[in-house]
Amino acid sequence: MERPSSVGTGKLVASAVIPLVILGAMIAFLLWPGNSFLNFGTPLPDVTVERLEFGEKLIIAHIRNTGPETVDIAMADVNDRIRPAAIEPSKTLERYGAARVVIPYDWNEGQPYEIGITTSDGTRFAGSVQAATMTPRPDAGQVSLLALLGTYVGIIPVMIGLLWLPFLRQLSQGKYMFFMSLTAGLLLFLGIDAVVEANEVSAETVAGSLGGVVLIATVTVVSFLALLYVSERLVERKSKTAIVGASSVALMIAVGIGLHNLGEGLAIGGAMVAGEVALSTFLIVGFTLHNTTEGLAIVAPVARQKPRIAFLALLGFIAGAPAIAGAWIGGFIASPIASVVFLAIGAGAVFQVVYAIFKFAGGKEKFLSGPVVAGIATGMLLMYLTTLLI
Amino acid sequence: MLNAKLLLAAVVAVAVFGTIFAASSLGPRAQAQNEEKLVQGHALESYTTTGDVLDPEHQDNRINTEEIDPDRYLREFNYGRVSTLPDGTTLREFTIIADDSQTLEVSPGIFYNAWTFNGTIPGPTIRATEGDLVRINFINNGSKSHTMHFHSIHEAHMDGVFEVIAPGGRFTYEFTAEPYGLFLYHCHVQPIEEHIAHGLYGVYIIDPKEGRPPADEMLMLMNGYDTDFDTENNFYTVNGIPFYYMHHPIQIENGRLVRVYLVNILEFDPINNFHLHGNVYDVYRTGTGLTVDESTDMITMSQGERSILEFSYNYPGLYMFHAHKTEFAEKGWTGTFLVME
Repeated sequence: MERPSSVGTGKLVASAVIPLVILGAMIAFLLWPGNSFLNFGTPLPDVTVERLEFGEKLIIAHIRNTGPETVDIAMADVNDRIRPAAIEPSKTLERYGAARVVIPYDWNEGQPYEIGITTSDGTRFAGSVQAATMTPRPDAGQVSLLALLGTYVGIIPVMIGLLWLPFLRQLSQGKYMFFMSLTAGLLLFLGIDAVVEANEVSAETVAGSLGGVVLIATVTVVSFLALLYVSERLVERKSKTAIVGASSVALMIAVGIGLHNLGEGLAIGGAMVAGEVALSTFLIVGFTLHNTTEGLAIVAPVARQKPRIAFLALLGFIAGAPAIAGAWIGGFIASPIASVVFLAIGAGAVFQVVYAIFKFAGGKEKFLSGPVVAGIATGMLLMYLTTLLI
Repeated sequence: MLNAKLLLAAVVAVAVFGTIFAASSLGPRAQAQNEEKLVQGHALESYTTTGDVLDPEHQDNRINTEEIDPDRYLREFNYGRVSTLPDGTTLREFTIIADDSQTLEVSPGIFYNAWTFNGTIPGPTIRATEGDLVRINFINNGSKSHTMHFHSIHEAHMDGVFEVIAPGGRFTYEFTAEPYGLFLYHCHVQPIEEHIAHGLYGVYIIDPKEGRPPADEMLMLMNGYDTDFDTENNFYTVNGIPFYYMHHPIQIENGRLVRVYLVNILEFDPINNFHLHGNVYDVYRTGTGLTVDESTDMITMSQGERSILEFSYNYPGLYMFHAHKTEFAEKGWTGTFLVME
């Protein structure tokens, strides 16, 4: 938009800056040392135990000061019994500062443990695991084990799903639309599932002050819009032929699913660390079944074309491989915040894919035809049923 | 063309994740610069750190030790300002000031709003002989109402229950010390649980006229602190500081009679107990008799109960004593005797 020529640059800058100056002056007034104008109530400390690790005769708690002010940590306990401990780098935690509390302790495999942290005002904060198990170290063995798990839940099932291509190719237009919509239903379910999962993680381990729910909403929307923008540009820049259009949609689906599988990898790696070993096995079987349907989602748009095998394999890799990265992050370094953010990115990505599928399909048919409605419903129901296995 | 772009995207993705991975695994280690310190666990496990050590069991790095000093409290008996009345009765006068504004370090690094008699937890030990006249000049310097309620025999209006002393108020408690035994005093303003839990208590000993056999006498008052106000104690102590006698063993002589005046003022938990290692002790329940009630290594007391314990050691060395409610022991109610040759 053209600005009126009568307004000079100086005036423009001034008009932008003046409100900021006034705002700054007001904040300075409120925060001025000695200003007791707004000093009512006692700021309560808040410490979050973000992650527990179990080492050779050691328990390690990763904690974060999620309260409004600097806190001093005075004491650690195991199952509510005071224990000698070390805190690194310092017992003083600035706002949002983090520390490692290391407790020498001869813990028992498979037993539940609660680790308590007491601040200088005598308030205790705790985190727990259901069953202690040695935390995997990022050595070659663990790295390859998690990579293998990621391959099982990510790459292989997606590749299996791709094998439905010849089947899809022989379908009539109505049936094809059914399967396209089925794919959309599957993905819609995955997106909702990711948002719910992110909320769960946020409620359990992310401090209230970090605003888990609004963080999820923000990241999901931004992820959706960013991927939408990129995919539209990608489709625009290519020629308008149907072949490339379909390939682009398939690519965007693969990218979206890949981001989603990153979240699944995080869940699997995280479950291993949290000592939910039995759960982890179920997770893996469940995700494997679940993810086979994702392969279907990728090949559906290109079923009418003759894509090269290498291109299909690449799509499968893009969709499946992030599960490996996710398993590494979840297993070795993830903080709950990272999990929430990745899950939300995955959710946004999947919703974008749903949108892309509808847009792709919408070009050919009336939007809410019978096969489309049946497809979405079947897709969501199918996903729900595979979820019962996890 | 498309595949080239995809490869580029894949490379960028790998680079981004790799960077995140590397940055996260560096973490707090990069900031460590202090000297290394050893943290000793309870069994053989240990850990060497460059950070800070949190260990109330083996370290006493409290800031203020004047207000809560278990070493001084252990053997400090206050007999008051002594004078003789015309009829020959001994008068013992004490001045006790209540306060509720202090913040004391009740365990290394843990600060708690203590309510105190004469500025300390526990309050000063008041000791008299059977038949003495005891006069307490009580001043309430706090911001809340307080009283002093003494156990033992006295007139109704000296009971410190219905005569609530307002902030800034004074009251003179006066009574004859009877019968002999081990008693306590505490604030009796409601909610009583709150006034006691915050620290308004102390020990009141009445000696028999003929006295007790000479001994190394000491006081052990068992209390607790509910620092997060959830009606469960976070700390249990004897004489005010968790684990204090673990790093400051009580020195006693081999073969010499030791007399422990044991008082339980614990709130919230219905019982407390005292277990002595490597020995048995004679119990004089409430100290109101001169014959032994039982010999044991384990006495359990309800809230407000007291007993006098007598024992001597046959072998030198380090002996533990603790609550055999082991939860309390592991939250601070543990100490040691060092028996010297």
